[in-house]
Order: sequence, then C-alpha cells, then structure tokens
Amino acid sequence: MSNVVIAPMLVALVTAILTLVTRARPRLQRTVSLFGGGGYVVAVGVLTWRVFSGPVLTYQLSGWTAPYGITLVADQLAAFMLAMSAVVTIAALAFSTDYIEAFGQQIVYHPLFHLMVVGVTGAFLTGDIFNLFVWFEVMLMPSYVLVVFYSGPDHTRAALQYTVLNLIGSAVMLLAIGGIYATTGTLNMADLAVRLSNPEAFGITVGPVVGLAALLFAVFALKAGIVPFHFWVPSAYEAAPAPVSAMLAGVTKKVGVYAIIRLLFTVFGAAQLDLGPFGDGSMLLFFGPILLVMAIASAFLGGFGAVGQSNLDRLLAYSSIAQVGFIVLPLAIVATIPLTDGGTVAVLGGEFTVPTGAGTDGLRVLGIVAALLYALNHAVAKSLLFLVSGTINAAVGTIETDELGGLTRSRPYLSGAFLIGGLSLVGIPPLMGFFGKLTVFDTAATAMATNGTVGEIAAVTALGGAILTIAYVSKAWNDAFWGTESMAVVRATAQPLALLSIVVVLALVLVVLGIGLDPVYEGAHGAASAALDRGAYIDAVGPSYAEVQS
Amino acid sequence: MQPNQWVMAAIVGLPFLAAALTPLVYRLLGERTAYASAAVAAVSFVLVGQLAITDARGLVSWTWIDAPGFDVALSFYVDGLSLLIGFLASGIGILILTYSGGYMHEEPGKMKFYATLLAFMGSMLGVAFAADLIVLFVFWELTSISSFILIGHYTGETSSQYAARKSMLITVAGGLFMLLGFLLVAGEGGTFQLLGTDQALIAQAESIREGLRADGLFVPALVLIGIGAAAKSAQVPLHIWLPNAMEAPTPVSAFLHSATMVKAGVYLVGRFRPLLVSDEWQLLFVTMGLVTMTVAAILAVGASDIKELLAYSTASHLGLIIAGFGVIGAGANTYGAETGAFHILNHAAFKAALFLVAGIIAHEAGTRMIDDLGGLWRELPIAAAVTVVAALGMAGVPPFNGFYSKEFLFEATYELAHASGGLWWILPAVAVFGSVFTFLYSIRFLMLFFGEKPDALGHVHAPPWSMRLPAVVLAVVAGIIGIGGITGAAGVHIEPLEAFVSQVVDATAIEHGGEHGAHFEYYLPTELTVPVLMSATTIGLGAVVYPFYGQLRDTIVRLRSVPVLSANWYYDSAVDGLDRSRVVESTIQTGLLRTYALVLLLAVSVMTLFAYAATAVGLPSFSGIVSPVPMVIVLGVAVVAAFAVTRAPSHVAGVLTLSILGFMVAIFYILGDAPDLALTQLLIETLVLVLFLLVLDKLPPFYGEARRSILARDAIASGIVGITVFVTVLVTTAANPENRIANFFLERGGVPAEHGTWILDYGGGANIVNVILVDFRAFDTLGEISVIAMAALSVIALIAMRERGETQ
Repeated sequence: MSNVVIAPMLVALVTAILTLVTRARPRLQRTVSLFGGGGYVVAVGVLTWRVFSGPVLTYQLSGWTAPYGITLVADQLAAFMLAMSAVVTIAALAFSTDYIEAFGQQIVYHPLFHLMVVGVTGAFLTGDIFNLFVWFEVMLMPSYVLVVFYSGPDHTRAALQYTVLNLIGSAVMLLAIGGIYATTGTLNMADLAVRLSNPEAFGITVGPVVGLAALLFAVFALKAGIVPFHFWVPSAYEAAPAPVSAMLAGVTKKVGVYAIIRLLFTVFGAAQLDLGPFGDGSMLLFFGPILLVMAIASAFLGGFGAVGQSNLDRLLAYSSIAQVGFIVLPLAIVATIPLTDGGTVAVLGGEFTVPTGAGTDGLRVLGIVAALLYALNHAVAKSLLFLVSGTINAAVGTIETDELGGLTRSRPYLSGAFLIGGLSLVGIPPLMGFFGKLTVFDTAATAMATNGTVGEIAAVTALGGAILTIAYVSKAWNDAFWGTESMAVVRATAQPLALLSIVVVLALVLVVLGIGLDPVYEGAHGAASAALDRGAYIDAVGPSYAEVQS
Repeated sequence: MQPNQWVMAAIVGLPFLAAALTPLVYRLLGERTAYASAAVAAVSFVLVGQLAITDARGLVSWTWIDAPGFDVALSFYVDGLSLLIGFLASGIGILILTYSGGYMHEEPGKMKFYATLLAFMGSMLGVAFAADLIVLFVFWELTSISSFILIGHYTGETSSQYAARKSMLITVAGGLFMLLGFLLVAGEGGTFQLLGTDQALIAQAESIREGLRADGLFVPALVLIGIGAAAKSAQVPLHIWLPNAMEAPTPVSAFLHSATMVKAGVYLVGRFRPLLVSDEWQLLFVTMGLVTMTVAAILAVGASDIKELLAYSTASHLGLIIAGFGVIGAGANTYGAETGAFHILNHAAFKAALFLVAGIIAHEAGTRMIDDLGGLWRELPIAAAVTVVAALGMAGVPPFNGFYSKEFLFEATYELAHASGGLWWILPAVAVFGSVFTFLYSIRFLMLFFGEKPDALGHVHAPPWSMRLPAVVLAVVAGIIGIGGITGAAGVHIEPLEAFVSQVVDATAIEHGGEHGAHFEYYLPTELTVPVLMSATTIGLGAVVYPFYGQLRDTIVRLRSVPVLSANWYYDSAVDGLDRSRVVESTIQTGLLRTYALVLLLAVSVMTLFAYAATAVGLPSFSGIVSPVPMVIVLGVAVVAAFAVTRAPSHVAGVLTLSILGFMVAIFYILGDAPDLALTQLLIETLVLVLFLLVLDKLPPFYGEARRSILARDAIASGIVGITVFVTVLVTTAANPENRIANFFLERGGVPAEHGTWILDYGGGANIVNVILVDFRAFDTLGEISVIAMAALSVIALIAMRERGETQ
C-alpha cells in the first residue's frame, strides 16, 4: 500500500471541484486551475520517481484485498505514461488559460479539463478492467463536450460522430468485460493473468477469452484511433480547440496505446492455447497479424490523407492516424513472433506459475520500447504542432494553408517551433522523434534477421510511412511558413507572448529529450520490462483466494 | 599518437557553437559576420591540420547513451579518409565564407544564412569523423536539413520551395533506407561502433558478411546503404534534386552541392568498402557509378545554365568516384581505391573553383545562360585564368589535376576487364564514352571566357577581392597537384600529398598493403599504356565532336523532354499526384456517420467471430433447456416489437414500439428474480420515452426512401453484429469458473441468515449490492458520479456556448 499512488488522481479531482466552485471569480478559477495542474505534475513526478527507484507500488482501495476490491497499480509502464501525459497536460492547460475565451473558460472548461485528467490518470493506474471502463467514461465525457465546445455546425457534426462511435465502443467494452467476468470469474487484471495461465486450477475454458479480448482490443484501438477504428479522428481534432486537440492527440490517444500494451502483453498474453491458423502458444499470436494489418493501414491511410490537406489541424489529425500506426507497428512485430525461449515464473509464493513475458533475446522488450519512445515523441511533437496551429489561429485568424504563407518572416520563433515539431515527426536527429523512428526500424531490422517476412513487411511499411511523413511535413512547411506573405498574415496581430513561450518550451523539450535520451531510454526500457514482467505485477497486486482482510 | 579529446571536441563543436552565437555576432558585426565565420572555419582547419601533422590517429570517445541494449558512444575516429573530408569541409569552408562576404552583400536573410552554413560545416565535420553509426547518421541528417534550409534560402520563390522539398524528400528518405541498412549491419555485429576498437564492425567485417549472408540479408543491407549513398551523392536516378538545388545562393552550391555534402555519399561508400566488399558490391557500385558518370555528363552537355551544367557535372564526377570505390576485382582494387580517394580531392578543388567563377559571372554579368555569355576574359582575367586550370582539370586534360585521377579509373576498369573478361569489357568502354561528354562540357564552360562577347551582354564589373581570392586559392591548389604530376614524372614527388592520399587509400582498402600501408604515387605517364590510350581517345573524340556541340545539345534537350525518359517526370507525377490526391476523403473518410458506424461494428464483429472460429469455441447444447411459459411469451413479444420498430410508419410509432421492447426486458428481469434491475430498466425506459417524445417534434418527419441495396447491406450487417453478440452471450454464460469473485460475496451476504453478519461488520451494510457499490467498488461509483456531474456540466456548456461560436 502506498498512498502516493492515488495522489495524482486526488489532486486532479480536487482541482476539478475547486474550479467548479470558483466559477464566479474567473481569475481565481484560472489560478486554482494552473496551481492544480502544477500540483498534478508534482504528484506525477513524485510517483514516477518512487516507482523508478523502487518496486511496483499498489494502492488497494478501501483496504480490500485484491481481487475483491479495486487495486491501483503504479509500475514503471504506468509511471512512464503518466509522466508523458503530465508534460502535455500542463502545456495544454497553460495554453488554454490564454487561448480559450474568458467566458468559455469560466463556464465549464476548467472542471471538465481536470476531470478528463482524472479519467486519464485512473485509466493508467487501475488494475481492474471494469474500473478501466469507468475511467474511460470519465475521460470521454468531457472530451465529448470539449470537441463541441465552439458549438458551430461543423463542431456539432464532429462531436456527434465522435460521441456515437465512442458510445458504440462503450457498449462493446461492457459486453467484453461482462463476458470476461462470466468466463474467468474475475475483473482484477493480475488475477486474470493468473487464472488465464492456470485455467485448470480455476475451471476456466480459455478459448472464448480470445474473442472477448478481441472485443476489448477493438475498443482500445478506437481510443487510439487505429484504422479501421479511426473514423472520428480527423473531424474531432479539427473541431476541438487547439489545446483540447493537443490533449486528445497527446494524451487520450496514448491511453488506448497503453491499454493495448497492458492488457494484451501483461494480461492476455499469459494465456497459452491452440489458436488454429494463428499457431499454438501465447494469445498474443492471434493479435500480432491483426495489429500488423492495422498498423500498415494506419500508416498509409494517415499519410495519404495528410498530404492532401489544406487545413493544418486536419493535416495534423491525419498525421496522428499515421503516427499511431508507427506506434503499434513494433508491437505488432513482437506480438507476431512466438516466444520460443520463454519459461515460466512462480507467483504468489509459488502457488501458481505464469509464462514469462520477455524472451532472452530482448526483442519483445525492444518492440515495446520502440512503441513507448514513439508514443512519447508523438505526444510532445503533436501537441506542440496543435498548439502552434492554435497560436497561428489566435494571431492570423485562419489555419487554412492557402490563406497562410510567409510566416517565417514575421514569426521566426513560431515557425522554428513548427519546424522542430515537424522534423521530429519525420525523425530527424537529434530530436526525440529520431529515436522513436530508430527503435521502430531497429525492431523491424531485428525481426528481419530472426523472422524474415514480418520484419520485411514492417520495414517496408516503416519506410513508406516515413516518406509520406516527409511529404506532408514539407508541404505544410512550404505552404504556410515559406512563400510570400498572404494578406491574412500581413494583417495579423502579434501572437500572445504566453502562447509563443509555451510552444517554444515544448520545442526545446523535443531537443532535450533527444540529446538527453539516456534516462528517457532507460525509462522506456524499464516500462517495457515492467509490461512484460508478469511475475512482479501479479506479486505486487497479490490477489488472494483465501480470507479477506479489512 | 591518440588524438586529443579537446581538439576533436573543438573541431566538431566549435562550428555549432558559432552557429548558435551567430544572431549575437550578427548584431555586432553585421555583414562582416562572414569573416568571423570564416575565422571559425579557419580554426577548425588548423585543428584538423594539427591532427594530420602530429600523426594523431585513432579513436576519441564519450559516452552518450548507455542504456540496456542500446549503447551509443559519441565517438570520432581519425584516419586518412576522415581527415580528407575534414580538410575539405573546413578548408573550403574558409574560402566559401570569405566569398560569401562579397557575394551576399545585397542578399536577404544573412543571419540565418551564416548560422546555417556554420551548422552545416559542423555537421559535415561530424560526418567525416564519426566512428559510430548512430552518430554518423545524426550528422548525416543534419547536413540534409541544413541543405534544405539553404536551398530554400529565397523563401518567397516557388522554385526554391520546390527545390528544397525535393532535396529533402530524396536525401532524407534515402537516409532512412540507409538507416535500415545500418541497423541490419549493426544487428549482425552487435554494436553501433563502426571503427576504432577490436569489436568494431570493420574489425569483424568477415564474420558480419557471413552472418548477413546466412540470414539472407547481405544484399538487402548493401542495397539499402547504397540507396542512402546514392540519394546523397546524386546518383542516377536519384540525381534529380541536385540541379534544382542550384536555387540556393552560389556559395552554397559550391560548398554543399559540389565540394562537401554530396561527398558524404561517396565517403560512406569508401568507408563501408572494407566492410561489405563482395561481388555484389562491385556490381552495384561500378554500375551505378558508371551509369551516373555517363548519364549526368550527357545531361550536363544539354544544360543551358552554367550552374545547371556544373550540377550535372558534379553528379557525373561523383559517379566516377563511386565507380572507383566500386572496383574490388582482382588486381584492380587498389586502383579503384586510388581513383576514389584522389578524385575526391581533385574534384573538390576544381569544381568549387568553377562554382565560385560561376557565381562571379552571375553576379557581375547578370546572367547564367550559357548562350548569352562569351569572351569574358577581357573583363574577368583572373576568373579566366582560374577557369583554364579548373576546367581543363575537369576535362581530364594532362597535366591538369583531374587527369591523374581519371587515369586511375581507366586503369581500374581496364585491369578489371582484363582480369575478368566477358561483359566487364563494357566498363572501360563506358568510362571512355562518359569522359568524352565530360571533355565536351568542360571545354564549353571554358569557352565562356573566350571567343566573341555577345552584344547583348553589358559591361561586366570586376568582382571584389573577397570573391576572387577564394577561387584563386582553389585554382592554385589544383594547379599544384597538376604540377606535382609533371615533377613526379621526373622523380620529384610532392611527398606530403602522396603520403596523405596513401592514408586515404589505406582507409578504404580491402586488404592492407604490408607494414607501411598503401603506397600512392602519381605522375605524368611517360610511356604508352592502355589508360593513356584511353585518355587520348577521350580527348581526340571530344575534339572531333566539339564543333557539333550545338546540335548535340539540341538532341539531348529533345530527348530529355520525353516524359518517360526523365526521372523528374516520375518524381513530379508522384508528388503532384500525392499532393492533389483526395482518395482518402473521397473513399474512406466520407463524413457519413452511417458508414463509420457500419465499418466499426463490422470490424469488431468479424474480428471477434474470427477469434471464436480460430479457437473452435463450442456452443453450449440447447437440449434440456426448459423455459417457463411466461418468459417465452415476454421474449416473444420483445422480438415482435423489435421487428415492428423497423417497420414503424412514423417516429412516434417507432418510439412507442421501442418502449414495448424495453418494458418486455424489464418484465424479463422480474421473471429472472432481479427486481432492482427491473426497477432501473423501467425508470430508464420511461425517461427515454419522454425525452424522445419531446425531441421528436424537432426532427424531419420523413428522410426519403432507402434504396434496396442499402437496406440489404444494413440487414446483413445487423445480422452479423447480432450473431456476434449472441454467440458471445451464449459462450460466456455457459462458462462456470470456480472461485468467482461473486462467490466470495454470496458466501458472506446477509441472506440467508446463517452467513452471519460479516457484511454488516466489515461493509457497514446489510444489502450486499449496496455494500459492493459504496464500499468494495466505491471507486467505480466515484467515477460514475463524476460522469453524471460532467453530463450536467456539458448541458450547461452546450446551452451557454450555443451561438457564441468561435469568437476568438
């Protein structure tokens, strides 16, 4: 039990309530909100530091022993994701206080923003699949209304689509969770891993769980915006205010990615069964080929969609689809390759054994490291780009590239920030994006040596997707930033210094993360190892089948 | 002697530091920033020279990333090859930055220009000395990015934008191919360290080649790295970005796009030569090099602009160098290495000089069109003298410098053909054929200064010394190398030069020539050998064809304008197609929610059914299921209502029918002993009915007839979704796991009484459902309450924000 685990959620929840009760005093509300955001970063920082310097931390709510109560688990994977989100959250929040018009802020913006953070944090920390559903809903509810925030016809249409598709997702998720509970008798993730790898001991038939896991996986893919579950992405990102788009692309998308890693690799991957045409082994083998196809489709659909766009936000939205393809590509590779040298590890005091998640060759770990580094880059770079787009919108009044042009002349710093973000997406060293791309390529190259076809397909996808990235980044740059100054740009007002400074700081973060990669890589490595270290995860949660203590 | 760490750090770091400080310096010095930057280059040059003279060779290394499984050292290696490129980057850097002081006088964006040039110089020095593949790649891409920024220097020009994007697409994409190749090699060798240690990749070259072959990855790795080199060094068909890159200010063309950055590709080929030597290597690079040499030379003859001519010529000469490094065959490999090593030096000297001359012409005569120029020697005598030395060197006329390295290529191709026979005889023939065109365009460039001055050409000013001096220095260097050949024939060699080139040859050699390494010497041939005959043929043929230069050029221009023959046509079609393509929005992202929902549901269903099929999930048997009559009736009514909804004539009828379905479900709950669920269901049904009736007024009464095909599609889709849910429910309700969490609660629930008061004692309540909601799973409840609160807030937001719109 460690109270620090719940601190980030409490801070965000309390801030949400405080910003609600201070609505009558807008300046106070903004101050509270910013302090709350700062407090959240501190709480996440402390938690991250504790987790990375010690064992997996857990918090059993109300003191009920797992699996009967709800457990929060902060391992290195959760901490890595939280730290990533905290960076984007504080930047987006600070940006909002200057960007969203005062009335909008006063009405509901701040409470909704912080409740969204509560949902995100809960989703990263929870060790219970039904509780995950709850935090997904907490995360989604404010995002529905933040997408429709400006309330124009386009915003309403986008929000309607976003809401309907996600409601379908919620229904599917409930079906899956209900089914999993009925089939395995538990909701606790660690317990689920134990039961799935010891089916006889619990009288479980593992077969149906594959289909139920597929239902669950579809919901995560919907949150992450992976093709063919991406339909809501372009319009929602375009409609939402810039800092909200930054949160959607930088944070909530990553919740989907996290859930895929956590549930597929840590939990469902523990099940060993005959998967017919998919082979005989870990349940991951079923998801590998599916993920691979989805990753390929995302990289190309997103890339082709982005090149033709003339609206910066829409271009960035398509780019997000492509980039999430890159994030899941290494996951697909390592899920496809069977773990031949994996043994089992004893858990819960030797009562049960579970299959180890990581092999000795380190390829599984590398694949997840690649996904995490790529996700980190995407979180920072894409939110940076959305905020640049927002700053342009605030100053020039349009983000249509054919109405822009020549921004480098009057706005060198803003343009420089866009260039750094764009180049980081392309993967130019020494920016953070390079190392994401490098590890994705490395996963593909290693797979080429050990398991030809999958590696080759992945390598071709990575190259093709990367070339499309160069194409749309360079096009956006030429259209909006170089060229002659358009009338709109000439008539533009000066951009607010606060917005500009946030954007510049994020650009510097990309440089610093890249040059100072060492701790970041070690963090990602720790997170990836934690995702595969089922033994440590299960033992930390410690589901008990005997007596319950209160 | 080991190189000094600080010297190495200064060589690479100083230009970057200077680039970062340029905004400040520019504020202080203004235009004279050029000379300050040149001074920085001079410091780098002196430091490189210090390494060379003090014989400091070997590895300098700092730890950069030392994470598990990912070990990258910021390491640099000093040998002949790295020193050569280092000298070029810093030495020509001094001249170019000095020249820029004059050239950029009236140009915009000087601060950005100098900062980028300095950053480029640092990157190029990094490429030259990098000993770790990742570090090499980092600097490699930085040169591409500086090139992108410098090509787009005139940001307002459409042609600059086009050229910058083209160079970025080709060189950066090529870099990604190369990166994959690097990773394949590094994966086999288990390290990113290329040079300088016992475990470095070069040191275990043989086992890496064998390992890659065993995995079937040798050719992929070779080709991937080859693509990277070809993109950077403008090899056919990836050469197309280089002529467009001439949009950059001329100092940039001279520095990046002829003397240094484009040499990165050939440098890489030289570097990897000992590592990947094989028959495939020879086939790939000799073919690529000779094809490029010939095609680009032909295109240079077709050029109408002097910078375009020089750009194609650069690609052609890079081809020559690549072909040289490509030769590894019996007895010829040393000639190959000598070709590459020596021509890197020679080409840098004469080509940079010619670019500077081109800049002087463009600046002072106001045009770059070949046909508008002539007889310039009267007004630009110094430039004319420089051109004589440089252009004849480029043509390969003895005793000028380019002649000697071209002789080595002739020698290499001849020896290879002689030893291997058969089709290899094509090589010397192609080498001569390509060289004829080189001779032709070189003489054409030279003739800009001679003959009649066209009347249309106005007065040509004398350029400032800052522009003349760098060209003269380069010509003097080229001249000295040429004279060295003459004296060499008499037995007097320029020892330091030859010793230095020997070291370069040594670095690219595939077998190390004894204790003292390779021995390189060059001299004007005094007897008739085959290579001499080849040179004589080249010059002779060139002299014969030159009078028909005009016709030849017209033919080439005509051929070039045939779309399928032009690499540019493919590039433009692809990129235009991509930019204009709306394929995603017109086919997939149609904006129709109906389609989105359909695809989402079908994808979910198909994937799930697939999983059930793959695991051969068994459906529970239906025999022995007894349903009480009331339940059958209730469910029957529900099914009828469900069908009726789809046939409902109006919204109101539809909603009412739907609520019949809902209420039937509620009754089903009652029959199933779940009164609390039934209550909830009834409440919700009632609320939904009321809400629907309130909203229905606002909806249009009639949406139009649905097409039969759409109805059929929707029916099939609904069927699939229905089957998925049905199977899921069947399969999961049939399961009966032990130790269900629910059992724990059931055993402790307050009913029946023999369970005792555990739930009351520990949970503080008697109703087990309540205790679960507010205690065991209170956290879920907290979340759900938040959702309700947010829904309320959302309503406030929607009402308050309505019609305010985006007023920012």
